[in-house]
Amino acid sequence: MADVLAEGYNVFDTGKSPSGTVKYLESPADVISLIQSGKLAEHILLVQGGTTTFLAPALSMGAIGVITMSGAPESHLGILSREFQTPCVMTAYLTSSDSRYVVGNTDPSHFDEIAKALDGRNVRLDCTDHEVGRVVAND
Amino acid sequence: MTTTEGKRASYKQRYEEGDDGIRFQSLTYTGNFVGMEPVTDGIKGDKMMKSRAKSKVLEKVSKDDVLRDEFTIDELNDLNNYLAWNIWDVLVMRATEGVSGMIPRQEYEILAFMHEFYRWPEILRMTTEEVGGGQGIMDIGATARREIGTKVNAVHDWCIGAVGFGMGRCGLLALEAIGPGDYVGESNEILKFMQRVLWGKRQDGYILNSQDRYRCRIHEQDFLDQLVGQLEPIEHGSAKHSAFTQFNAAAELLSFLDHYDCRLGLGDTGPYELANGNLLILRDLFVNEEVFHWSDVCEDAGLPHCYTLALEIDPEKMALDEIRVNDISTTFTRPKNYIEAIVGGAVFAREKWNTPMGEVYPIKIDNLGDHLGRVQQATLKLYTKTSKMCRRDLIWNGQYVYYIDMILPHLRLAGTYDKACRDYDLWEIDQRVANYYYDITKRGFAQETVPSKIFSGAGYLPFPDGASLRNSKGRWL
Repeated sequence: MADVLAEGYNVFDTGKSPSGTVKYLESPADVISLIQSGKLAEHILLVQGGTTTFLAPALSMGAIGVITMSGAPESHLGILSREFQTPCVMTAYLTSSDSRYVVGNTDPSHFDEIAKALDGRNVRLDCTDHEVGRVVAND
Repeated sequence: MTTTEGKRASYKQRYEEGDDGIRFQSLTYTGNFVGMEPVTDGIKGDKMMKSRAKSKVLEKVSKDDVLRDEFTIDELNDLNNYLAWNIWDVLVMRATEGVSGMIPRQEYEILAFMHEFYRWPEILRMTTEEVGGGQGIMDIGATARREIGTKVNAVHDWCIGAVGFGMGRCGLLALEAIGPGDYVGESNEILKFMQRVLWGKRQDGYILNSQDRYRCRIHEQDFLDQLVGQLEPIEHGSAKHSAFTQFNAAAELLSFLDHYDCRLGLGDTGPYELANGNLLILRDLFVNEEVFHWSDVCEDAGLPHCYTLALEIDPEKMALDEIRVNDISTTFTRPKNYIEAIVGGAVFAREKWNTPMGEVYPIKIDNLGDHLGRVQQATLKLYTKTSKMCRRDLIWNGQYVYYIDMILPHLRLAGTYDKACRDYDLWEIDQRVANYYYDITKRGFAQETVPSKIFSGAGYLPFPDGASLRNSKGRWL
């Protein structure tokens, strides 16, 4: 049984199960830099927010999978990942931690912990369940 | 399809009178109904809210009702409660999305809410007078029945009342800048304008999609037939399917970005049942709004004001259980993934907001490649441009997207936009709101207090019994 590193809302159920190295994107400059590197398709993108604008060019240019630390399928990023058919796990939490995202009341350490645990890991997204999306370790 | 094989579509049951719909979320709503059974989302929630109304304003209303000059206090409170629930219904899960990392949306939103509540009433009153009264506003709503690529749509019309009145008043109450009995007359002005536009558009007695089991079937049949005639069959897994769905996604993304990550760039209507049993969603994607100065990159890319996509969905292919076109013009389904069930499509372009319908032209799916490239080019340029803006510019730009764009389509059609700019300083920032810029970041007001009040429903305080319908703001104490 593969190791499930994190779980969250599954934006839409799909048989697509993209694999790649998690890349944590903190700023628009990170997004532009990744696109210019030509290596967008090698990465599962990890972001804090669930809004669309931050990831706009990455989605448009062919991001293969997205993990967010907040938001839901009804958020703009959820809507757009559905339209792009880009598998997306939202409001992901670490299965090894009790820390959970609470709207308007989440300590920055929550996001830091997830970024530290996932950034650089080789993972696969499992989005076959109606409700729960899973981040599965490949390495 | 991966998970629905062997199942049959059951969505038509949702339109049977006794059906309560299925739940899209587990959360419930309380609002001003403390101590009563919590209200659900969806069709059941709509029924519960209607059953708690003191007046008949949430039932089908007549043209004479809509033309009446003002609402009673009971009607205002029923609308206040219903809009508060409706806002929760469509936005409570969206609101979990947290920080943008790009655009300070919560900050610009709350400034816009309050600005709208203060400034819109006299502009909407002037517009009503300029078009000869309530019938003129209803006629503006009715134009949407025979147009695509129009911003006189569910989300804009809803925003007049739900955002300008509902969230604006809620924000000012939370800031303790106003009391529950203040601005009754102004509230009436905003809500009457909203009711008239929406009633004129729907013409079935309802004003909101949620009142009609989340349907927004506004187009007249002969107009709809012209669009349906342009549908091209699309086979799942084909290059045509990929080209169509990729263009849909890319154009939708740019429409969000051009409107500062808000829903004003997107407008769905439907679902319309086709003769073959499939469902049609018509989707306007406003990729180039000329009134925004940052949209110059879209203009440079040669993009039209709007692309309209016709999406033909096979409900059996996805075993559709429920489809909602909600009041912010967005389609959600159960199961969630409708993209794989798209079996036909068509694309249209409207070059300018006032391009006559006869000049709106279809684009063959095989010819979308050039358009997709230009959409992607504009997206990257707009992103780069936006990423260089300072926080203050981002906030005020976003504020303008709400405060201007939500009533822009109505003012344009009324012919009062220039007058609003010239005589009413539409693009100026009211001094009260300018001062709030510094208050909203204190004590988590924009990021915690207001979202909590707005999305829990706790902040939509009722107008007091016996309040005068003429009340404005009598005193600043």
